[in-house]
Amino acid sequence: MPDAAQLAPVIVSVDIHVPIRAVWDEITKTGQIQRAIYNTVLECDLRPGARLRYYSLDKKRVFVVGEVLEVTPPRMFKHTYHFMMNGVEPPTTVTWELAEIAGGTRVTLTHEGFTAAHKAADKQAAGWREIVGLLKAELETGTLPLKTRLMYGMMGATMFMLPKTTKVAEVERAGF
Amino acid sequence: MRTRGPAILTIEYHVIISSHMQRRPPERNRPSRRPDDLEPVWRALANATRREILDLLSEGPLPTGELADAVPNLSRFAVMQHLRVLEEGGLVIRRKDGRRTVNHLNAAPIQLIHDRWVSRWWT
Repeated sequence: MPDAAQLAPVIVSVDIHVPIRAVWDEITKTGQIQRAIYNTVLECDLRPGARLRYYSLDKKRVFVVGEVLEVTPPRMFKHTYHFMMNGVEPPTTVTWELAEIAGGTRVTLTHEGFTAAHKAADKQAAGWREIVGLLKAELETGTLPLKTRLMYGMMGATMFMLPKTTKVAEVERAGF
Repeated sequence: MRTRGPAILTIEYHVIISSHMQRRPPERNRPSRRPDDLEPVWRALANATRREILDLLSEGPLPTGELADAVPNLSRFAVMQHLRVLEEGGLVIRRKDGRRTVNHLNAAPIQLIHDRWVSRWWT
């Protein structure tokens, strides 16, 4: 059966004025809050084939499930991506590419593999734009914009409104 | 704390404190306000043809040949010069797709500009 037609990939990039190692350590840190990625917690053995999950702070919800495809510190981190907020969809692929530039690090995030079967690739683009912007703020200044902090402050109270497909039990039942 | 908005801000301040947040930084520490940070972006945007190229790419990525055809009265070489300035500004990312080069709009710098002047509160 032929592949469904691929929609345009999401590609976003920012330059961050910190060393490449600092960026790598931040995006691949596990078991700790990632303030640039909506206060989620990454759990992942960073090796090809390993399972990857982004959890909510309280570990009761899973937002992203995937499998590591490639890890080449400190330059490339590539994994499959099931966005559990959208229910069960075919996987897409996320690639973090870090490159040293004068004065810091160029971060390029590619999210590809979207087809008609996926919901809202444009929303993913907006989300990744926000994430790389927050990553820049977090690493360069250690602080996030006010509106982000307000949003994070409210997130705990609105967790119950998230789709059922993000509940840990549901994710396990779906075979992830 | 300075009250610059509605009184509800003082309530939200406590929400922030209780959610492991840091104190609000001085204004001039915002990344997009550092002096040279966006200079290549301004330079890239300060040209009508380059803005037109961004208009075209905002509809979707394009190979260089098709992009050049879509920009009237300009040689392919001239279009490639503009693409290079856009790339230096971080607004266009080039990817090889087989034998051709596809140009993608990178909207992240636009988002940073937007954040700089527009969205401080909820929107």
